[in-house]
This record gives sequence, C-alpha cells and structure tokens, in this order.
Amino acid sequence: MSNTLEETAVFEKPEKKEPMGPLFWICVGWIALNLLGAVFANVLPLTNPLFENYNVINAGPSIHHFFGTDDLGRDIFSRVIYGSRVSISVGIGAMLIGFGIGAPLGMLTAYRRGRLDTIVTTVMYVFLAFPAIIATIAILSFWTPRALFKIIVVIGLASVPLVYRVMRTATMNVATKDYVIAAKVQGATDRRILFKELLPNVAPIAVSFLLIGIASVITLEGALAFLGLSVNPPTPSWGNMINESRTVMAQNPWLVIFPSLALCMFLLCLNFIGDRLRQHFDVTEVKL
Amino acid sequence: MSENNIVEVENLQTVFSTAAGDVPAVGGVSFTLGRNETLGIVGESGSGKTVLSRTIMGLQPRTNVTVTGSVKINGFEVVGASEKEKRSIWGTEVAMVFQDPMTSLNPTMKIGKQIDEALRVRLGMSKADAKKRAIELLELVGIPSPAERYNAYPNALSGGMRQRVVIAAALACSPKLLMADEPTTGLDVTIQAQILNLLDELKERLQMSVVLVTHDLGVVATRTSRIIVMYAGRIVETGTTEQVFNRHRMPYTKALLESSPRVADASHTRLKAIPGRPPNLLKLRDGCAFAPRCSFATDKCHSQRPELEESVETGHKFACWNPLPITGAAN
Amino acid sequence: MLLGIVFVISVGSFYLIHLLPGDPATVILGTGATPAAKAVLYQQLGLNKPIYLQYFTWIGNVLHGHLGTSFISQTPVAQTIRLAFPIDLEMIVISQIIAFGFAIPAAMKSARKPNGLMDRFLSAGSFTLLSVPPFIIIVLLVLLVAIKLNIPHTGPSSYVGLGQDWITNLESLALPSFTLAIASFVVYYRVLRSDLIATLQEEFITMARSKGISQRRIMWRHAFRPSSVALLGSAGVNIGGLLAGGFVVQYLLAIPGLGYTLISAINMSDYLLVQGIVLIVSVSVVLINFIFDFIIYLVDPRISRE
Repeated sequence: MSNTLEETAVFEKPEKKEPMGPLFWICVGWIALNLLGAVFANVLPLTNPLFENYNVINAGPSIHHFFGTDDLGRDIFSRVIYGSRVSISVGIGAMLIGFGIGAPLGMLTAYRRGRLDTIVTTVMYVFLAFPAIIATIAILSFWTPRALFKIIVVIGLASVPLVYRVMRTATMNVATKDYVIAAKVQGATDRRILFKELLPNVAPIAVSFLLIGIASVITLEGALAFLGLSVNPPTPSWGNMINESRTVMAQNPWLVIFPSLALCMFLLCLNFIGDRLRQHFDVTEVKL
Repeated sequence: MSENNIVEVENLQTVFSTAAGDVPAVGGVSFTLGRNETLGIVGESGSGKTVLSRTIMGLQPRTNVTVTGSVKINGFEVVGASEKEKRSIWGTEVAMVFQDPMTSLNPTMKIGKQIDEALRVRLGMSKADAKKRAIELLELVGIPSPAERYNAYPNALSGGMRQRVVIAAALACSPKLLMADEPTTGLDVTIQAQILNLLDELKERLQMSVVLVTHDLGVVATRTSRIIVMYAGRIVETGTTEQVFNRHRMPYTKALLESSPRVADASHTRLKAIPGRPPNLLKLRDGCAFAPRCSFATDKCHSQRPELEESVETGHKFACWNPLPITGAAN
Repeated sequence: MLLGIVFVISVGSFYLIHLLPGDPATVILGTGATPAAKAVLYQQLGLNKPIYLQYFTWIGNVLHGHLGTSFISQTPVAQTIRLAFPIDLEMIVISQIIAFGFAIPAAMKSARKPNGLMDRFLSAGSFTLLSVPPFIIIVLLVLLVAIKLNIPHTGPSSYVGLGQDWITNLESLALPSFTLAIASFVVYYRVLRSDLIATLQEEFITMARSKGISQRRIMWRHAFRPSSVALLGSAGVNIGGLLAGGFVVQYLLAIPGLGYTLISAINMSDYLLVQGIVLIVSVSVVLINFIFDFIIYLVDPRISRE
C-alpha cells in the first residue's frame, strides 16, 4: 500500500468544529425556559400576580408560594414570571427596532460607500457622541404616561446608531476581503454579493452583538425602573420589583433576591451565549 | 564537548502537543558546528527548520512543547534548562536574527532603546555608555546618521534598515553564535544581497559562527561551509556545501536544486516544481517521508524509513534507500 | 470635528424644551399657568422671536456662564451645576483609581499564566459580574453592609465636601465609588488581559526574550505599552458612560451629584435645570472621549502623525 499524492496533502477537510460545551447548552436551555414562561404565563397554573392576599404578607418561600410573598401579599414567583415579559419584550423589541433600522443601513452604506455613506455616518456618529442614556431618561420622563411600547420605541431608536456602527464596521471588514472583490470581478450583482458573500460572514458578529445588545437593553430597562421610568406598578417587571423591595429589604430579603437572581441569570446566559458564539466563529481568536 | 565546537546537537526532538494530536516538528536531529563555521539549514516551509533553530537556542514556546535530546552551546546544556538559566546565554553567547523585521521590532519603542536594552540589562552598562555603544552598533550595521536614528521608531525605517537594526540588537552583547532565521525572506531582492553581505562581513570581524536557515539555495551556495537539508523534521542530507551541491545523493536535494531558478537558464525555462506537498506531520506514515513525491521511490522506500548513513566521502551523509548514483562531475 | 459635535449637542439640548408636547411656556410653568403669566414668560425668554435667534441668545448666555435661572428653585442653574459636578468627578476619580489599580496587575498576572488558577477564577468572576447591573450591586451591597452588618448608611445630609471633613467625605462616597469601580474593573481586566495575550504572541516579544530579558521586564516594558491602546479606548468610553450611568447609583444613595440633581429636576419638572445638566454632561462626555483619543495618539507611534 503506497502513499498516494493526495494523501500527502497538508490541508485536510476541517475536522468537525469544537463542540460548544455543556455550559453553553445549559444557558440556551435557561433562556428558552424564560421565553416559554413569558409567552405562556397566562396558561400556566400561576397565582394572579396582582392578587393581594393579606393573610400571607412577607412570607418566606413555601409550597404554596415558591418564592414567598411581598409586603402586599402577592406571590413573588408568579410576579417574577410575569415580570419576565416586560424585560424580554423590551429586550427583543428594542433590538428589533435597532437592528431593523441600523443593520440594513450599516451594511448598505458600508458596501456602497460614497456620498450617502458620508452623510449617514456623520449623522450617526454625532448621535453616538450624545450619551444615549441621558437622552433616554430625558425623553421617557417627559413622555407621560408610562407605557411599555414607549420604552421599547425610545430604547430601540437610541440603539440604532450603535448597531449601525457595529454592522458597518463588520461589513467593511468583510467587503474589503479579496473573495468579495473576486466575486465582483466575476460579475456578481450587488444583490447577490450582499446575500451570498457579505451576509453569511457578517451574521456571526451580528448575532453575537444582538444577544449582548439584548442584555444591555434589559439592563437599561432595569435602571430606568429604578428611576421610576419603567412600567407603572402594579405591573411587575424585574426592575421595579427590585426597586420596590428596597424599602422592606431588611424584613424580607427574598423580595430582592429572587427578581435579582432572575435578572442576573438571564443576563448571564445571554452574555455567555453571545460570547461563545463570537469565539466559535472568529477564526482569528487566539487559542491557548 | 570538543573545544573546537561551538554547538553540539544530539538526537534533538521537538514535539508540539496540539488539540489534534502530537506533532513531531523535529525528529532526531544531530550535528555539530565548529567555531567560525557557517552552517546552512535548508528546506521547504514546514520542513521544521525554523522550529529546529529556535529549539537549538531554547526559544521554543514554553507551553505544549516537549524537547528531548541534547544541545550544548559552548558547553551549556540547553535542553531541560530553566528559562532563567537559558537567559544567561541568550544575547551573550547566542543570539537570533528573525525573519520579519516588521514584526520583530517593538513598534512602540525607539530603535536605539531596543539595542541598548540588552547592554544595560545584561552587561550592566550605564545609560550613557549603552547609548554610545548602540550608536556604534548602528554604524557597524551600516545605518546612516546613527546618532539621529537612535531616536527613531521602527515604522520610520525601511525594511532593509529595520533588519539591520535587528542585527545590531542581536550583536549587542557580542555573542559567539548567531542564528539567522530566514533573515532576508521578507525583503526586496536587492536588499537581500546587502544584508547577506553584511552578515558575512560581521561574521569575519566579530569571529562568530553563524547558522543560516533558509529555503533559498541561492543564499547558502556561496556563504556557508556546510549544509543540512531538512525534510519533515529530519535531516535527509548533510555535508560540505560543495559536496551537497555537486554530489548530492538524496533525490530530494536534487529536486530542490532543480526547482530554483538560475540566471544561467534560458528565459522562459519552466521551473521544475516538486509535485505534491509536504506531509502532514500529524499523520506521518511508515517509510521515507519524501517517498510519495519521489520519482525514484521503491517499495522499500514506502515501508521503511532510511537512516542517515555516510557516503563515500567523509562528512557527507544522506538518508535514502535508493540514492542517486555517485557522480564525479559537477551538476 | 469636535466643535461640530459640541454644536449639535448644544442645539439638541436647547431644542429639548421645544420637543416636548405643548408650547414652551406651559412646559416651563406647568399646565396651571395663567395666560398673563405666560405672556410675561414669553417676554422674558424672548419666545416670540424666531427660533434661531433664541438659540443664539441662549448660546451667548451659556458661553458667559449663564445657564438661566431655575423657576422652581430660583437659583441660577450654573450654580447648582457647579456645586454638584465636583461630586461626580470625585466619585469617578476614586472609582477609576481602584479599578485600574486592581485591573492592571491582575491582567498582567493572568496574561503571564493564562488558564492558571488565578486567571480562570478572575475571568469567570469578572464575566459573571459583567452580567450584574450596577444598581443590583448597590442594592445587594446596601443589603449586606447597612443592614446585615448594621453599619449606618449615609444620605445626602451626611455628604460633606472634601475641604471640610475628608474622612466623612470618603466614607459617604465609598459605596458608590466601589460599585462603579467593580463595573469598571470588570471591563478593564477583560480588555487588557485579552490584548496582552494577543501581544505576547507577537514576534518582537520572542526577540526580546532572545536578548535575555527577564519576563517581568518584558511584560511591563514591551507588552504593556502596545496593549494599553485598547485599554485606553475602553477607558474613554467607560468613563463617559460612568458619568451618565452613575446617575442611578447616585440617586439610590442620595448623593447630591449631577445625577441625583438631574433626576430630581426631572421629577420637579425643572426643565431649565434639566436642559443645563444635559448640555454639560453631554459636552463632558465628548470631551473625555476626545482626551482619551489624544492620549492614545501619544502612546502609540503607529498612529499616523501626518
């Protein structure tokens, strides 16, 4: 049996990529669980989150109330689950707006360049210089009364410049690569290039940034809740639950712990998944 | 260790442990180098020559690498020495000139400082003395207006100039052995000759031994006294330059020689490339590593790996079951 | 370029009042304002003049340091800001000293021995902390410190200027500064560590090694400077964010800095004050970014010096 010429090739087909690891899938599972909870909260056998039961004020965790109750006798467990709706819808909604506007704009201007690019980029960079948080606080505080969609819209719009910049930079990095120029020279239409060359290569960065973006938005909503700018009570949101708990923290620490845990674990999983995806697809990442 | 030898290498092996398996980048290399001699190590990319040169110095990466065998530089055993111990010979006994001057100089540090750093840290010179010596070194390597250039940053210099700075830094503490790892590969052809001539000159003046690692046979033809030809991490032929060029026995050497363009060839002569590619060191098979690409290979070549054996001339060794016939005439 | 951005910000801040529903007079005086009061206001603020003229008058005043006088508190806006700003600055300075003070050595250590015990511990820890928003850190810290350990926690009445009693001053700022420091540390550690590890792979590090230079010297003299570029970049962004984002922390602990003042102003519908603060903070953030860009330019000679 002799060695054939082909068998001496140095570059073999890449072996299957490293698996993502159990931790990754645990996080995915957790996120999925939260999502399911948020969507199906209505049909789950949960106590009404608004129902005030004065018999069990500030009770600790028990069989009846998994997470205990707050100072108005409301079941914390169901409030946490219902609360996830606010955070998740803000996260997804705002990012949809941000990406919906920012991503196509960013990719288009990065690819086409020219006058359009210069104008849009300058405008966006000016907006970027303006601290988004302040603008968000200012606008939301004046735009009364409070409503969920207002929060989503304001945060969403505020995130457009950042999404724009990230997508534009990513697209520019890919567009200058030789294989894209090669495709162009071969006569591929712009549309084809956008979809077949640029999109697949920008997608990993986009997805990773999307996840991290959702995490930031949810954090922002939490901060807004502390300023009284999120949804009005008694509607539960993780942010305002934590905020309200401050006054009775001493007597009932569970009031702080459970929503905080829920929020932090959700954010942690999001960040972790986003980070792992970035590592997985970034071939230039230094491996040790 | 013989008094006349500056380097003695015995059965040196370097193995990289990667996620895909163990890679024997250097497998069982032995040779000696005398004082004031110049040795050329020749091979394709992936032949293991760079790994060999770094391992000889002890500069291999610190993690995921296993080195066995023995390397004695002026009596100092490199294999197995701790980083601290190795530091005692780095710069003062042996130094290296790297391939790419763009990346081997610190872009955020003035070039003068990069040269006198070794002088201050290793030799304990004062700042003023070190600076003076650095400027002398810059002049030695042929950099114009050395006193001004002392304060320049690497990105202000051309490729050739940068490489001269690298050489100056390597020579700062007057090492007896200089490892030059593809010192001209990244440079323009015209500059290449300049740098190589500079190295020759310095070698004479400072009485150093030089190990010249390259894939370009033209470089070693006139500047080395002995040559090692490497393939897949092993020595496949070695001898004096004259022996290897004119009376080589191993077909790989022949193929290598034939694939270099020569000025003497007629224009439009087709380059004779060696078919196939260097082997994947993760999946080394039995037999000679070059067999799949060799036009003289026999069955034995595919099944058993040949060891180095001496040819009719002393000092000329090769590893081949089916060597080229002994010729008396020049190639 | 810088001026352009500042200009646009000023327009934005100025226009804030006009962006709100209703006419400016109602906005400033409230819905219960009588037409007579509104007329007076119109006169005073020159609201009957065209917009661009109003803007120029306003900018003219601003450049002289007159940001208007708040209708609610009757104190000049500029004065309120002048009192509150140093507090933010102090908080930021303290938090950054702590953050850098720990992040730099930790990152250097981790980069030297990647995947070692300390590295894994710190990396996992900082990643986790990344996901914990500052307001939660504060709440938990307060829970722990003030309640469990029964240490009295401070409020605006107990905040005292540096000049007067620096011990109480530091005590009152300890908690918020520490929280901001944690948030900053996490970012700096990760950025510096990753950049250091990448830099250590470079050829010039091997060359320095081959000269016989000690590991310690290589880390500090060779690896640190090129790696600090990314660190400085993120510092600029981070500090800008701290100025804006530290508001929540301030508000929670009732530290009378710019953030607390802003939120209170919003709650009291003190629009002139809001306008002033928004302007000052935005300009500061831009300035900070600019300063850091300049520092980067000084540090890294590779950046074009045309």
